[in-house]
Amino acid sequence: MEPHVAAVGTSPFGRTELTGRDLFSAAVAEAFEDGPDPSEVVDAVYVGNQSESYEHQIMYGTLLAEWCGLRHVPAERVEGCAAAGALALRHAVEDVRSGRRDAVLACGVEKMTAGGTAGATNALSAAFDRALEQRSGVTAPSQYALLAQRYLHDTDATERELARIAVKNHANAAANPRAQFQRETDVETVLDSDYVAPPLKLFDCAPVTDGAAAVLVASADVAARFGGDDPPVRVAGVGAGANNIGVADRDLTFVEGAHEAATDAYDEAGVESADIDVAEVHDAFTSCEAMLAEAAGFAPRGRGYESALPPAERSDGWTDTHLSTSGGLKARGHPIGATGLAQAVEVYEQLTGTATPERQVDDATAGLCINEGGVADAVTVAHVLTT
Amino acid sequence: MTDHDHSTTAPLTRDEITADSPFTLPGFFAALADGDLLAAVCEDCGKRLIPPRPACYACGGRKLRVESQPKTGTVVSYTEVRTPPPALDDRAPYTVAIVELDSGARLTGRVTVPYADASIGLPVRLTARAPDADERELALAHEEAWPIHEFEPV
Repeated sequence: MEPHVAAVGTSPFGRTELTGRDLFSAAVAEAFEDGPDPSEVVDAVYVGNQSESYEHQIMYGTLLAEWCGLRHVPAERVEGCAAAGALALRHAVEDVRSGRRDAVLACGVEKMTAGGTAGATNALSAAFDRALEQRSGVTAPSQYALLAQRYLHDTDATERELARIAVKNHANAAANPRAQFQRETDVETVLDSDYVAPPLKLFDCAPVTDGAAAVLVASADVAARFGGDDPPVRVAGVGAGANNIGVADRDLTFVEGAHEAATDAYDEAGVESADIDVAEVHDAFTSCEAMLAEAAGFAPRGRGYESALPPAERSDGWTDTHLSTSGGLKARGHPIGATGLAQAVEVYEQLTGTATPERQVDDATAGLCINEGGVADAVTVAHVLTT
Repeated sequence: MTDHDHSTTAPLTRDEITADSPFTLPGFFAALADGDLLAAVCEDCGKRLIPPRPACYACGGRKLRVESQPKTGTVVSYTEVRTPPPALDDRAPYTVAIVELDSGARLTGRVTVPYADASIGLPVRLTARAPDADERELALAHEEAWPIHEFEPV
């Protein structure tokens, strides 16, 4: 069966008193607002969730199935650091594609503010190799800074170019009612912000976010019971792969795993990078957007940092793809396990023409989501959505 | 560069996967505490892997041999940790780098110079020492005796 995105929803993103299950309830409330109850259609649940250290809670499959009125359905948590959400989506897509199930709920949740900055720093560091990286005191920003430092060294990109990516994503988020930071910024503010791990500064970094997102993947018949007049959105291609865990052994300036995953997703969907109108890439840091634009085939090697420019002003060899129209991880927010699904929510809104007018890309018919976990492509999942 | 005294070659049998084997973390860190940095070299593609493990992710090969690594190399990339894991608060800021050893093997580690004194291409040498109090706080029970590796400028 061809998998369709039947319904989507998110909680608000940002710091909140709500717990993980409450955030999930908000996402489900939106997704099922105009359709049947979950118990009428949902055959299985996958939950993307980074870490039990935030809420001291595992068994999130069971808990969230229960919280949306389901009993005796397969329900499980999927783990892959920040790629957990897209891994959950991928499982739902494969289940429906195989004909095994008619409707599967992919959701993600993270309550990151529970332990403050120290709690988030500790929880995220668990994604890195214990033997040599963690014991050397690495952190998420420092891991990405090792890539960014080399990228700036090997290309014409500068810290100012990276700042423009932050400014562009803030501008997009200002037009996104779901975003954590619904406000614009400017290049000087970004450049004046403190270094977190040089060359990366505070305004190059995605924030700590509480949030949840839900995507119901279903057959065309079930999807027809949702969504009213919106055009159907199909999941036309999926790609996924794990690279090695240690950053030292990677290609530091080309995200090989993302290239492989995106290429596989394009092949399955029968599209090329130039066909992609909108892309949510995993801009955990501004430098990631630049590198992923290259890995996904939107930009020539070493020119991904031009993602902040209007398509007509970019170098030859760039596609016309609009990147991170939601504001990206940088400004929409980055509730780790929910991020891959929040990306799919944005692409769904773009393809159905239901994004706010300020950020809606005209006539968008194909979108790409790239979600990564660990640092960069330790694990990558790519989805192509089409109308 | 010579083979370590207790070097073995993979594939290993089930009974050879012991805490004495350099293909396991206890064996790797015991050798490092003795001043020997070990890699596994893939017999099929030549890739050097630190720490050693019984299979090569680069080509899928399972024929590997343990090899002592040179301690010297150069910084490939570097940064500064300003907000560390809580146990290392008193140590911050500190410099972290990816170093390519003269054998071509790469690994991440702290560098014993301030960020401003580090650079891509900086020649460094690997050292290993017993963990300090804060590093022991970060350690799990089975890691308490494992040495901490660092890079110092040559």
